[in-house]
Amino acid sequence: MSHHMTEVKDLHYVYPDGHKAVNGISFKIHHGESVGIIGANGAGKSTLLMLLMGVLFPCQGEVLVGEVLVTKKTLPGIRQRMGMVFQDPDDQLFMTTVYDDVAFGPRNYNLEEKEVEKRVLQALEMVGILHLKDRAPFKLSGGEKRAAAIASVLSLQPDILVMDEPTSALDPKSRRRLMKLLDSFEHTKIITSHDLDMVYELCDRSIVIKDGEIAADGPTSKILVDADLMDACGLEIPLALQNCPVCGRKK
Amino acid sequence: MKTSEAGLNTTFDMRLLDDMARKETVIHRVHPLVKLVTTVIYLTVVVSFGSYEIIGLLPLLFYPVLVITLAELPIRPILKRMLLAAPFVIGIGILNPVFDHQVFVVGGLTLSRGWITFFSIVLKCILTVSAALLLIASTGMDKLASALRMLKIPRLFVLQLLLTYRYISVLMEEVTRILRAYSMRAPQQKGIHPKVWGSLTGQLILRTFERAQRVYQAMCLRGFTGEYNTGAHERITVRDTVYLVVWGLFFALARIYNIPMLIGSLLTGVV
Repeated sequence: MSHHMTEVKDLHYVYPDGHKAVNGISFKIHHGESVGIIGANGAGKSTLLMLLMGVLFPCQGEVLVGEVLVTKKTLPGIRQRMGMVFQDPDDQLFMTTVYDDVAFGPRNYNLEEKEVEKRVLQALEMVGILHLKDRAPFKLSGGEKRAAAIASVLSLQPDILVMDEPTSALDPKSRRRLMKLLDSFEHTKIITSHDLDMVYELCDRSIVIKDGEIAADGPTSKILVDADLMDACGLEIPLALQNCPVCGRKK
Repeated sequence: MKTSEAGLNTTFDMRLLDDMARKETVIHRVHPLVKLVTTVIYLTVVVSFGSYEIIGLLPLLFYPVLVITLAELPIRPILKRMLLAAPFVIGIGILNPVFDHQVFVVGGLTLSRGWITFFSIVLKCILTVSAALLLIASTGMDKLASALRMLKIPRLFVLQLLLTYRYISVLMEEVTRILRAYSMRAPQQKGIHPKVWGSLTGQLILRTFERAQRVYQAMCLRGFTGEYNTGAHERITVRDTVYLVVWGLFFALARIYNIPMLIGSLLTGVV
């Protein structure tokens, strides 16, 4: 299934103020893979996502989605195949009802209103908030907003889901519910997060980024337990793998 | 804290009109285009009255009153929003009694004719502002925009209108947050010290820019190309046409005949 492969080749990006955010990153993500992109604040994770989605264009190197080069011309097709969920759901929900928000994408691709309705209901059903369809987005709780934001991307039926900090600002139950939901998706998933426990559970593969470069790339079960590597990259091993605070203190 | 909470309230207030627009009543079901055209005719008729006319304007009060009742809209929030326009109108009209020195007598009272023009302006303001508010509260911005598009208004203008409408609430939310953060650390102050006005507004502009940019990116990522699609256009039905024609006739009658005068003369039998 190479047609769903996402490939990044020697990516460089320098912000107009001279800050080098991404400095020669290369990787391949195959169909159905679930990849966690982790790194300290300012490591270049968000910039990388923006480059993947074609919001920013690299100064050097290229991004290929399903063997199609991301350029201004190919963007509409690529954005139909890649859906991005923003960190702050409020940025993504700007219509007056949840239904309209979820329908925004399909309507932009000029689908028949019947097809739009089918997709909207399906997407809402998938994230379990069908009952909220006529509510105003700004009146929802944090978890519901997140679900609505995910539905607004699912309605485009993307092959690849890109998520920026999906579990941030969620209470533990909502976080667990969201993780279950994400785990049930068969999409290719690219997730950036500081929630390393979530990455540990959901992602088979992790890419660690440090100062705009890849510090490590491999199976999550190997990378996240490497305390020295984690420490060097401004991270630490997942809490679940650290010593229990009750029965044993850390050395 | 008071200022910031006021800000928050205004944010919710802003969106109250959207909430109202989601009701399902006779008025809400009328086609948006028909409502828009009816409102435009109404506004034109109200504005076309001469500056000394008050009595002739009165029957036109019937329109907002009937719409607000049939659309089951709460009166208080609408009145509150109408007050927003009051300072401008009073500013425009308040000098009329001073400049217009001609005098007239009503029941033994001698008044400057400027007062008539002043009241005429205030009345016109009430009628026009309420009609515009009722249009939004019974239609919703999204549908209104699609009606404007049906009238072949360039999409750039319509988009500008819609995004400005959305952007205001984003701006208000940022203001609320900044004010709250400020008042938390300046508990003994009333309002905001002039020293920090500059940096606060600068902060606000930068934050809203960033926010607006992210919203725009989110739109682009979902295939936004400049056309704001709000779903299927409903057809204009016979009922909509009747709504338009009946109001049109009523406005025309109210413009041509002085209805209160007619009723008065009918009752007193002086024709």
